Amino acid sequence: MEKAEYMEKAAQHIVDADEEAVEKLAREYLIEGFDPIEMIEKGLSEGIRKLGVLFDRGEIFLPHLIIASEAMTTAVKILEQAMPADQVGKKLAKVVIGTIEGDVHDIGKGIVATMLRVYGFEVFDLGRDVPIATFVEKAKEIGADVVGSSALMTTTMVGQKALEKALKDAGLRDNLITMLGGAATTEHWAAKIGANFWAESAGDTVMKLKEIFS
Amino acid sequence: MNSKERVMAVINHQKPDRMPCFGANCMVTYEQMEAAQAFWPKGHEDGETMARLALASHTVLGFDAVRVPFCQTFEARALGIKIKPGKLPGNMEGIPGIDHPPLYKLDDTPVFPDDFLSRGFIPELLKAVRILKKELGDEVPVIAGIIGPFTLAGSLIDTVPLLKATFKAPDKIRPWLEIGEKAGTALAKALIDAGADIICCEDMTASPELIAPKTYKELELEFQTKQFDAISVPTILHICGKVDPIVEWMAQTGPNILSLDTKTKPHIVREKCGPDVVLLGGVDVATTLFLHGPDEVKREAEEAIADGIQILAPGCAVGPGTPTENLLAMLQVAKGH
Ligand code: B12
Ligand SMILES: [Zn+2]
Repeated sequence: MEKAEYMEKAAQHIVDADEEAVEKLAREYLIEGFDPIEMIEKGLSEGIRKLGVLFDRGEIFLPHLIIASEAMTTAVKILEQAMPADQVGKKLAKVVIGTIEGDVHDIGKGIVATMLRVYGFEVFDLGRDVPIATFVEKAKEIGADVVGSSALMTTTMVGQKALEKALKDAGLRDNLITMLGGAATTEHWAAKIGANFWAESAGDTVMKLKEIFS
Repeated sequence: MNSKERVMAVINHQKPDRMPCFGANCMVTYEQMEAAQAFWPKGHEDGETMARLALASHTVLGFDAVRVPFCQTFEARALGIKIKPGKLPGNMEGIPGIDHPPLYKLDDTPVFPDDFLSRGFIPELLKAVRILKKELGDEVPVIAGIIGPFTLAGSLIDTVPLLKATFKAPDKIRPWLEIGEKAGTALAKALIDAGADIICCEDMTASPELIAPKTYKELELEFQTKQFDAISVPTILHICGKVDPIVEWMAQTGPNILSLDTKTKPHIVREKCGPDVVLLGGVDVATTLFLHGPDEVKREAEEAIADGIQILAPGCAVGPGTPTENLLAMLQVAKGH
């Protein structure tokens, strides 16, 4: 198969959320000896970008997007194994992300984490129901460039404010970017508590972070 | 008219003396807890405290209905699901939720316990309804909440696996919807026996923000219809988010009232659903009610009424930190219509 055909097929399998097919394709592609990074950037990413557009237009729905982004993660892992070590290690920025303590909603946060990985960020996903102190400890431990928090409830939004303060108190705040999201939050809220930015969706998050780190 | 007459008038398509105002979801706030001297977590678990706290929406706010429970875990707990207490940062009390990992996997067979109605805190919930009914008689309607089949299915096998199954193996979801419907309906009947005047079914996971509209039509529609058919008192259906793509089918399941999130515009619902279903909603809980002030609340409420809302309400569960004055501003608007 021509390289271009691989790219088209990779994109299409992602659009179809066909995990088995994309996995098989990635393996064949590596056997051919082509550049793994190119498949991520021109094939898989193109597929997920198309899906994002379809999702925003209301033509596909969340289950489709979840399965497609998992398929993408699987394929990226396979391709990464074939990358030179310095390429794998070359990440745009280190991101700590999690859902605020008391909040178990993690679907949206999970999609954000997956997409950031896909776009070349090193992501430390702390999961859901994460105590403020854990965000701070992790950020310190790994020297995070970005700390992102998700809150889906009016009760847990206040934790994002507490996180801003905790990062300040730990002396970390000036050296990193904070971002937040989740259904309960708004741009207004992010501005009010002094976060660097709010993102409406995973796509929006990638766009805003890429503007800062590239 | 008293509150119950007012609410029943709207449900029966007669003219009320003024527009009713109450929420279909939890209306409890920290300020009401103080006023009623009834607090969480006890208010989630003890019938008497629950009833006292629920009363506050009428005695403190002056709203036209009271509502129990305040969380969405009663059926799930009785089905054996592990529940996480509602602890929040800063030692605040919140709303209990479903814990991880889930009890079942998609391929398992769900079990419906024979003693379902005496498990978990269901007996306390029924007790709360009996107390409220005794207290309020035919003055103020008592709303009791159940959880919709789809959301309960998500509590049993976890939401993400459920969502994935809607795409990969939709038929495997049926047994989970069946048990979800059975649990909610059994609870509804017991709540009615205890004195509930209205049953509100919350089905947040059935939102098009989570599942494809096709999934709602091909799976949930059947189970929700079966549930409402089995309920003898007036009903409310609440699904979060922008429900435009499914709202026509939501109305077909047979509720008397649709409770709308502010992302869903009343005039669109009216267009799609015809004249029969009553529209409840109006003011956004996460922004307007929680973060802004009475003026914004009033403006948004007026707009919603002009757009076709018939019962003024918060668009979803009220955040417990919401100021009382914002809720009072809603009532003030309702009184002008
Ligand atoms: C699915 C769901 C659940 C599932 C969660 C499963 C899971 N693993 O996540 C279950 C059923 C378990 C659940 C439980 C509860 N829920 Co719930 N749930 C929802 C629902 C229907 C959808 C949320 C969702 O996943 N949306 C889809 C995703 C993709 O969107 P998203 O999260 O907004 O994420 C996007 C963006 O916001 C952004 N983003 C998200 N995170 C981040 C982070 C960063 C850093 C950035 C930059 C961007 C970003 O990008 C994402 C992708 O595009 C909402 C209603 C709604 N329509 O929002 C209610 C809702 C959030 N839940 C609510 C409630 C009350 C509860 C419960 C308390 C109910 C109960 N008693 O059981 C419990 C919570 C328990 C707890 N302590 O947390 C309320 C909150 C009310 C409020 N305003 O405070 C809502 C609004 C609905 C309601 N009233 O019932 N819920
Ligand atoms: Zn809602």
